[in-house]
Amino acid sequence: MIAITHIGTYLPENRVSNLELIEKFEIDENFIREKIGVGQRSLKSSDEKASDLCIKAFEDLLNKADFSKDEVECCVVVTQNPDMSIPHTSAIVHGALNLPETCACFDISLGCSGYVYGLSIVTAFMQANSLKKALLFTADPYSDIIDPDDKNTVLIFGDGATVTLLQDNYPGLVSLGFDFGSKGASYKNLTNEGVLYMNGRAVFNFAAATVPKSINKVLEKLQLDKEEISRWYLHQGSKYIVDTITRRLGLKPERVVFGMYDYGNTVSSSIPMLLSEDLEGIAVGEKVGVSGFGVGLSWASAIFKKK
Amino acid sequence: MSKVTVDQIIEIIEKAHLVKDANALAHDKPLSEQGVDSLDFSGVLFNIEEVLDIEIPDEDIDRLQTINNIVIYINNK
Repeated sequence: MIAITHIGTYLPENRVSNLELIEKFEIDENFIREKIGVGQRSLKSSDEKASDLCIKAFEDLLNKADFSKDEVECCVVVTQNPDMSIPHTSAIVHGALNLPETCACFDISLGCSGYVYGLSIVTAFMQANSLKKALLFTADPYSDIIDPDDKNTVLIFGDGATVTLLQDNYPGLVSLGFDFGSKGASYKNLTNEGVLYMNGRAVFNFAAATVPKSINKVLEKLQLDKEEISRWYLHQGSKYIVDTITRRLGLKPERVVFGMYDYGNTVSSSIPMLLSEDLEGIAVGEKVGVSGFGVGLSWASAIFKKK
Repeated sequence: MSKVTVDQIIEIIEKAHLVKDANALAHDKPLSEQGVDSLDFSGVLFNIEEVLDIEIPDEDIDRLQTINNIVIYINNK
């Protein structure tokens, strides 16, 4: 049985305050705290690439998990801001970490739904090929593509990376079921043609309408009641969207984890960033829910159980 | 579709818990001047679209600053 056993994370130390942008964008502190939910954003240095962030997250993983690099059989990077278009960033990470030549490497091109998709893909790949250990990285440094004058995006996104260690036959979080979907006809609402463009209203409408249905669908499929889920890890798009989904699903707010105020929306890293803080404290038998949504427009929801 | 009323719009806003007291909203004053920020306004429009099963294109939003504007707009659609 494949389980999430450890998660390493990296957030650049440099922070940029949103409070300093209050006058520029004619907003107030309450809007930043209660609606956007991002007080400051983590910012990488201009010469740092996605692979550099992955390597820093891996250093954190080494402090948390007792394993040898030689045992890693699969290395996957979720990113849409790769170091370069050729080769895949996972190859660069593989080389930098000196992983074994027997290790499979590939990238997954997805945004905010990427971590949940990645968990399913890597778990299935491990099962199909009898692999024992895999690394699932997330790193999407949006600071490279943000227009500093665009209020719709500059207040939200921060840089960061995570790496999830998946292991066969170890105690950890095991997936019970997934739900996936796409609205490709709406892809133009969130694009990068040199600069990130986001139609905030359209993305909000998509998330508010689709994510609760997706979560209900996976609960129904597993014949679970939402009360049986002790914690929810929703993609941290903004505090407003997390609060909206919480309300529309009728979830207990204290069970919905929120934590982007000090670093921003880290795209595919937002869910593992929060999960890493709680992973050890999740008791055997406890179930947690995750849902990622965004670019595509795409979504993925899943339920995990600690075994 | 039967004509929508001011009370229906206020009820939609109230049920969605988007403002503290939807009944206290003035009908002829821009929502932005009554504590409804841009994100809340998106939430208001989303709930109206969902409940009334209509679509409000982005290019029409500037015409929808007050509750009265919203009612007239929907009834003329």
